[in-house]
Amino acid sequence: MPGGPRADRRDFYEILDVPRTATQDEIQRAYRQLARQNHPDVNKDPGAEDRFKEISEAYDVLSDPQTRRRYDAFGPDFRQVPEDVDPEAFQRSRAGAGAGQAGGPGGAGGFGAGLGGDFGGINIEDLLGGIFAGRGFGPIRGADQEAELELTVEEAFQGGHRSVTLEGPDGRRTLDVRIPAGVTNGQRIRLAGQGGRGSEGARNGDLYFVVRIAPHPRYRVEGRDLYVDLPLAPWEAALGTSVAVETPRGEMKVKVPPGTSTGKRLRLRHHGLPHPRGNAGHLYAEVKIVVPAKLTDEERRLFEELATVSTFDPRRR
Amino acid sequence: MGYALVLVRSASLNLEAFARATGTHPDLVRRLVALGVLDANRDAAGELWFATGQLAVMGRVQRLRAGFGINYAAVGLVTDLLDRIAVLEAALQEARRPGR
Repeated sequence: MPGGPRADRRDFYEILDVPRTATQDEIQRAYRQLARQNHPDVNKDPGAEDRFKEISEAYDVLSDPQTRRRYDAFGPDFRQVPEDVDPEAFQRSRAGAGAGQAGGPGGAGGFGAGLGGDFGGINIEDLLGGIFAGRGFGPIRGADQEAELELTVEEAFQGGHRSVTLEGPDGRRTLDVRIPAGVTNGQRIRLAGQGGRGSEGARNGDLYFVVRIAPHPRYRVEGRDLYVDLPLAPWEAALGTSVAVETPRGEMKVKVPPGTSTGKRLRLRHHGLPHPRGNAGHLYAEVKIVVPAKLTDEERRLFEELATVSTFDPRRR
Repeated sequence: MGYALVLVRSASLNLEAFARATGTHPDLVRRLVALGVLDANRDAAGELWFATGQLAVMGRVQRLRAGFGINYAAVGLVTDLLDRIAVLEAALQEARRPGR
């Protein structure tokens, strides 16, 4: 329907999740509950403001018995029907003509087809001037919004750009978010003016992306420090060795001193996540001694010999 | 579209400028300061000064009032509770993070 009313406009009763036979009290209760859940200051989700707007629009119409009657009769485009058309007479004439849609989903099934050309551009925003405007409150700054931004350890390490798609009042929008190198869990990236819309020319709110670093198969993240497991054979741990450890910058050689037990942390200074204004975090390789699941005959003989010769008791107090 | 991180400069607004910027009456602003809903500093001459961050606080107060019809005294309680919930949610999320 080019130029016609928005085809995706949902039915007001559906939005408030009430039957078409709901009493005014039930409509009020449903509205209050949904408004509490979706108010942009209670719910920081960028989609909440749209839902709140939809709920408020539905309530504005259904809470007034006269407007509700017109909505029931004429459907979503009731505002385009002249005031002097009697809803009951209109429905009777439709029923008589065999249109028979009254009570179906979306009210009377829409009136827009015939009138769409001239009135199609009508927008509830223009009528209400934003959710909070037009009610005697003057210009109100838009609400700040928050969305989670999940990054890999590598992305947090290197920084870069990430394209993020969000649902907004003007449909979907794609934002290019610059990720500074060295962001950490819980850090907020602010996009000025990308939050809720201000009314009557007031400033928009800001959109904050809260960084969450996704679980990584190899690295654990704590602040800017990275932890990585370092599996060692018992003899490597006992005799000392030099092994390669993977870091976000590439492989690094780590010297394991003789007599290293499980749980010991070998620190690679400043090889953790970078800090934009200071020292980078550290990378800790945590030793984990691993034994072969199955021993060869020779290995078994040597271990048995070691067991006989050694006086070492790891449980001695 | 690219957005850079924005450095917020901390400027101050006097009562008149703050009221004008928020489209409210200075008496209302003064009352919200008295109710502890808005933070303001008083200079030697007794004039109130507001940090720009208070514009966002005022926006929230106005939206809560418009959305729920909450009176200004109760708005203070609601905003305090919302702030406390935000802190608790952040802490909860931190504690739930895997690999800790």
